[in-house]
Amino acid sequence: MVVNPAIVALAIAALVSTLLLAYSAGFGWHLVRHWDLTSGSALQVRLERQTYLTSTLVALVFVTEATSLLLFVYNADRIAPLFVGAMCAVGTLNTSPFGFPTLMVKILVFFSASTWLILHHLDTRGYDYPLTRLKYGLLFAIAPLVAAETYLQLRFFLALDTDVITSCCGSLFGANREALASELAGLAPGPAMALFYGVLTLTLAVGLAARRWPAAGFAYALLSAVSFVVSLAAVVSFVSLYVYEHPHHHCPFCLLKSEYGYQGYLIYGPLFLATALGIGSGVVRLFARVPSLRPLVPPLARRLTNVSLGLFFFLVLWVCILTAKSALVLLGNEGG
Amino acid sequence: MIELVDVRKAFNQGQHNELWAVRGITLNLDGSRAAVLRGPSGSGKTTLLTLIGCLARPTSGRVRLQGRDVSGMTERFLTGLRRQTFGFVFQQFNLVRGLTVEENVMLPAYPLGTPRPELRRRVGALLEALDLASHAQARAEWLSGGQAQRAAIARALVNDPAVVLADEPTANLDTELSRRFLDIVRDLKGQGKTLIMTSHDPLLCQAAEVDRVIDMRDGHLA
Repeated sequence: MVVNPAIVALAIAALVSTLLLAYSAGFGWHLVRHWDLTSGSALQVRLERQTYLTSTLVALVFVTEATSLLLFVYNADRIAPLFVGAMCAVGTLNTSPFGFPTLMVKILVFFSASTWLILHHLDTRGYDYPLTRLKYGLLFAIAPLVAAETYLQLRFFLALDTDVITSCCGSLFGANREALASELAGLAPGPAMALFYGVLTLTLAVGLAARRWPAAGFAYALLSAVSFVVSLAAVVSFVSLYVYEHPHHHCPFCLLKSEYGYQGYLIYGPLFLATALGIGSGVVRLFARVPSLRPLVPPLARRLTNVSLGLFFFLVLWVCILTAKSALVLLGNEGG
Repeated sequence: MIELVDVRKAFNQGQHNELWAVRGITLNLDGSRAAVLRGPSGSGKTTLLTLIGCLARPTSGRVRLQGRDVSGMTERFLTGLRRQTFGFVFQQFNLVRGLTVEENVMLPAYPLGTPRPELRRRVGALLEALDLASHAQARAEWLSGGQAQRAAIARALVNDPAVVLADEPTANLDTELSRRFLDIVRDLKGQGKTLIMTSHDPLLCQAAEVDRVIDMRDGHLA
């Protein structure tokens, strides 16, 4: 095992998060079974008081979980020089079979946590606990996910061995292998660009429409999720090539390195946030008919949509700038 | 206007010194009326007043204001509700020493962000109506008992609340000042305000200005 401050912080944060969520899920089970707003029983009054503290606790855990994704990836990149064959985070994640599964589950937890936090934000603004039961119901799905993440991450950290010879991004994101990463890398830049700009333009257009016609909000949420996948594919397929100015270097993780000016953070940060807020804007619209939320949902959905749109717009603009300022000419010279 | 359903309140619950101050009170209080909670010391009337005014939460039961449950609300909503719906006159008046009467009266209005000139105008009118205008710049600790009480009433009214809650309002006043207090009660009722007071003072409980006397003993309605 490799021990550094980031690994210790991530491991402790994950363990504490799991314990707190286990407690919160236990309380949630109690709440879901006994919650009755029409009752003034001592139990109901006590649940109402406890939910305030417990919800704050869960919110804190989810904010920690969401930010831990950033630290996890950053740390994977920073410790790469310790491993023979590793050039970036890919090499670190490849040192054990738990690396990439941990990352996948972390991404899943990020979006689950962000959606829960948006629901929590809305719930606390309703005077009659409109979403409390739902919030705690969702914990039963998210808590096991966080527990799985903690387990995988711990196994990954424990398996880190500097004597292991690992393979790096060149082999994983080579266009001539049979894996999802290679499939993405093998996607021709022309169609990938058309897909990226097409889907993102559609997302921006639907987002603008959603500001005026709330019904379009659900389509915007769906398109936000689609944009996330398409953008990741675009990063592997052509954005990375323009940044590295190399026609065969498809790694989406090297973008996070100082050699490339940490440009990846300006791609992934807006992308993750825009997607989370875009999905959240659709989720809150589901509750527009709840009486105590009726005046709250439209302004919140509009605010989430606006910020999400701004971030998606920034992403498209940033990709355009990266493409324009690169010395690499791809289209029309696919052969390199 | 105010509805209490089987309201109970315990202090130090589960400990050796557990005390049930209010034991299952169901009560309806109408608007634009003056009601007095009467009972001996320890009967639970002040606790009930704090539950009605959302200063404390019941251990069980519900308090509803105009049909909306307020006993379960979180602090986010209770703060605004207390500020805009209730005005409090405490038994010891609780004026802030070192501040002038005008500053004391202005205090509850600060969080609402009312422009200062407008606020000063409103406070001036209140002090005028309560015959305290000449003492606007006097410090709180310089006031007599009657003046302090009127300053406390002005402070309770500064946000124009629908309900004024007063805990033993005549306990520290002589007969003449108590009668002047009753004049104020009559004026407030005339303005459509609801007054809920605690007292065991016969002068207050038997006054014509009081519409309803609710007797309490040992945390129950007597």
